Amino acid sequence: MKLLGYLLWGAIAATAAFCLGGIALIRGEHINSIWLVLAAACTYITAYRFYGRFVAARVMALDDQRATPAERLRNGHDFEPTNKWILLGHHFAAIAGPGPLVGPVLAAQFGYLPGTLWIVIGAVLGGAVQDFVILFASMRRDGKSLGKMAREEIGKVGGFIALVTVLIIMVILLAVVGLVVVNALKGSAWGTFTIAATMPVAIFMGLYLRYWRPGKVLECSAIGFLLVLASIFGGRAVAASAGLAPMFTLSAMALAIGIIVYGFLASALPVWLLLAPRDYLSTFVKLGVVFMLAVGILIVRPELQLPPFTRFVDGTGPIFAGKVFPFCFITIACGAVSGFHSLISSGTTPKMIAKEWHAVPVGYGSMLMESFVAIMAMIAACVLQPGVYFAVNSPAGIVGATPAAAAATITGWGFPVTAATMAQLAADVGEKSLFFRTGGAPSLALGMAHIFARTGGGAVIGFWYHFAIMFEALFILTIIDAGTRVGRFMLQDLLSHVAPPLGRMTWMPGVIVTSAMVVAAWGYFLIQGVRDPLGGINSLWPLFGISNQLLAGIAFCVATTILLKMHGAKYAWITFAPLVWLVTVTFTAGWQKIFSPLPAVGFLAQADKLVAAGAASPATQTLIFNARLDAAVCGVLMVLVATILIDSFRVWVGILLGTANTHIREAPFVPSRLQAEEL
Amino acid sequence: MTLLRRIGRLLLATLREIGDENAYQRHLAARGCQHSGAEWRRFSEERHRAKYANAKCC
Repeated sequence: MKLLGYLLWGAIAATAAFCLGGIALIRGEHINSIWLVLAAACTYITAYRFYGRFVAARVMALDDQRATPAERLRNGHDFEPTNKWILLGHHFAAIAGPGPLVGPVLAAQFGYLPGTLWIVIGAVLGGAVQDFVILFASMRRDGKSLGKMAREEIGKVGGFIALVTVLIIMVILLAVVGLVVVNALKGSAWGTFTIAATMPVAIFMGLYLRYWRPGKVLECSAIGFLLVLASIFGGRAVAASAGLAPMFTLSAMALAIGIIVYGFLASALPVWLLLAPRDYLSTFVKLGVVFMLAVGILIVRPELQLPPFTRFVDGTGPIFAGKVFPFCFITIACGAVSGFHSLISSGTTPKMIAKEWHAVPVGYGSMLMESFVAIMAMIAACVLQPGVYFAVNSPAGIVGATPAAAAATITGWGFPVTAATMAQLAADVGEKSLFFRTGGAPSLALGMAHIFARTGGGAVIGFWYHFAIMFEALFILTIIDAGTRVGRFMLQDLLSHVAPPLGRMTWMPGVIVTSAMVVAAWGYFLIQGVRDPLGGINSLWPLFGISNQLLAGIAFCVATTILLKMHGAKYAWITFAPLVWLVTVTFTAGWQKIFSPLPAVGFLAQADKLVAAGAASPATQTLIFNARLDAAVCGVLMVLVATILIDSFRVWVGILLGTANTHIREAPFVPSRLQAEEL
Repeated sequence: MTLLRRIGRLLLATLREIGDENAYQRHLAARGCQHSGAEWRRFSEERHRAKYANAKCC
């Protein structure tokens, strides 16, 4: 039996190695997506079985005899022992946002290989470890947040920096996801109508749940799902109507203003009316679509059309500028390593873990699942013809403002595409044009539609394209709504020290002022992205990636401090090695984004180029100011994280020399009385 | 067949957890009260206050 086990694990590991070797070495022919699926799945299974369990047993010394906070502090609300598979689904639904879908699509400009390897290796050795260790640390500390743990384990500076970094990340995140929606919907009557219709649908669901069928969330979500499906068909009718289509065919600026107004109103509305019902709906749709995509890829087994490497590894990419190192590794954050996950792993989940060993599937396993979602997004992007992929994702400022010019530029790069091909594709999916739709969402939707349509007949590709757009926009709008609200809470908390009434959550003038301040902050960056001649994504997505990875750096600092206190230097490499990698990547990327002499990469060089051009129009002045502002934001983030790194290093040296307090602030051991049958 | 039924049950339970229906049942059990519209509203307000104090993940 033991021999059989060895053989089985040997076969899985060998398959992983063979497939990874295959995708890395095969050149000159298209490879099938199954290679990526097998390489990723077998690597995850092997890593979960060996590395995850090694960290759990040797490093964390997980102990099922020790009562978790869910058992000790059980209150029927936050603290509740929950079945591990249910919690796995719950945690996965919480960590999986648009990041693992959009990041890989953008990084595909380097070819499928760099991004795929980073997604697989980064998740196994970095992202999953971060989520797992932070979940463990929080679970042993009564469910404390990352900020509180940073304050306790490193010092007050760490806690404050974590708070400020989160606030900055949220501003950048909300702007960049807003821009993704804007670029997906501009000039699209079908898409705009469909997304607009989700708002009355969500409000209907809110009223249904509150007054007509209280508590029937699944029933209500099923009705909501049918209604949004109907809205996709309605969108097609609207797009075909000469009277209605112009009303829903909006420019990027009009859409951006619409999203800003929406963000302000939605964050001030009662949660039950719009946010909560749409959150339920978008979570269910998200899980369903991820499952459908996995099944679709297995059925269709499409060939990848993009090469393993493109010429743009040299940093001249049209989607975002910068070389494969470091930019591939910050473009794909969620899906490989995401600092944002540390907030979820130290939020609701540690309060629901019934037994300590459940942290392995929930913490480590969930991240591997998210990483697999990123692999599927990479496949969806790479099944497109390279010319089509670049035509959709490249901004007009780089490839030329007309379809003919853009097609000529992209063909000149060695990726043939014609304006007629793009026009036909746009007509197939019910759009007027698919050129210059930067942001990743439209090309992901095209790739998904391509896969779904091949499982159910090509005639419905327009439906699947808009279904995918609806699915992405649905949870992006939920993020905007919830993020604005949380930003407002944080701001109210900060401002309450200056003006106490502003801290009161029920004082409407305070709510309005702080909501407006948060919306103005991310709205500014959103408008900046819309006005950017390079499409906005070129500036904002790297900024978002850098900030997200810097937050992961903070999480790894906390995790390393805890491991050093537990074991000395023996196991600190588990979190220290990914920390060194992330610091190298993010600081290199941050430095290049600020100081690179290439205007396409460096914010300051971009500003200098505009100054040198001599055009002093207000629009140019704004572009110059924006480039300098982006440089300043990037610099502030780097200084903040450098401060926490130095502070952590001071603590680590103290621990290793025996001069610092090595007291582990875990909750005391209480024997567990929870029986398996209770779960 | 039993395995499929078990998977189906688990899936439904996961959806109920995500949809807060399980949490509501626990709330009713902890307070020893019956389901009603008013009770759901009380529960969902508490639940949402805690849930949306944190940002949604990217």
